[in-house]
Amino acid sequence: MALDSGAASPSSPSGAPTSCAPPASCVPGALRIPARLACLDRVAEFVLGLGARAALPDSSLYRLRLAADELATNIVMHGYRGATGEISVDGGIDPDQVWVRFEDDAPAFDPRQGMRAPALDVPLAERQIGGLGVFLAFTAVDSFEYELVAGRNVSTLVMRRPARAAGPGTG
Amino acid sequence: MTFDVRLRVNERVATIELAGELDASSAGRFHETIDEAAATGSIELVIRAEKLAYMSSAGLRSLVFARQKMGDDVRIAVVGATEPVAHTIRLAGFDHSIDLIDA
Repeated sequence: MALDSGAASPSSPSGAPTSCAPPASCVPGALRIPARLACLDRVAEFVLGLGARAALPDSSLYRLRLAADELATNIVMHGYRGATGEISVDGGIDPDQVWVRFEDDAPAFDPRQGMRAPALDVPLAERQIGGLGVFLAFTAVDSFEYELVAGRNVSTLVMRRPARAAGPGTG
Repeated sequence: MTFDVRLRVNERVATIELAGELDASSAGRFHETIDEAAATGSIELVIRAEKLAYMSSAGLRSLVFARQKMGDDVRIAVVGATEPVAHTIRLAGFDHSIDLIDA
């Protein structure tokens, strides 16, 4: 049996690819995407592009992408909870670090409140794995900050750049 | 981003091959394939992960689902996972009940 690739899952029917396009007013270098799982590929593309420009090592790049993916998924699933909404993503490169910031208008929610470390002593079949995604995100990056700013949820991920990769910042 | 999943069954060993990127939007197809594998009555589930470039916590959720669907008597092995994917599995402690095997 073989299945073709695609971003859609049974729970998120595939829309037209253009449905994830940012509005015309979107600032270059930043993203505004609908809060839908099918649109989160664009977050990965943004983060991977940013990390590549910052010359992050492969392992750091993977972890930054993982953290961004988990955080964005968390906003869709536990922030908006299926309601229509948007996620804004921007980021930058400083001499010593790369940062990625998420903003959304979902009800106020610190993603760290839902974080749970793995219950290593519980048999796998009985595991409650809610909160594991945020745990992965939190442990993957060097810094994870949350603020409620003017009613918006703002989360910022930071990954340090190795000294040899540091160059002129573009962010 | 692409994801591909294939199932084959040979002498009561179900093998699922994963390729590409396993995240919240693609995990549903992995779940469906696990369902199909569980229905074959196999005594072992082998998940080939050599071509799995990326796995988020959605993939961990799939592994929990696999353990629940296949039952305690079925051996589940993840073969050939890349270091970051294997690291995620170990970080969650899933390597206690799923065998992580180098290709």
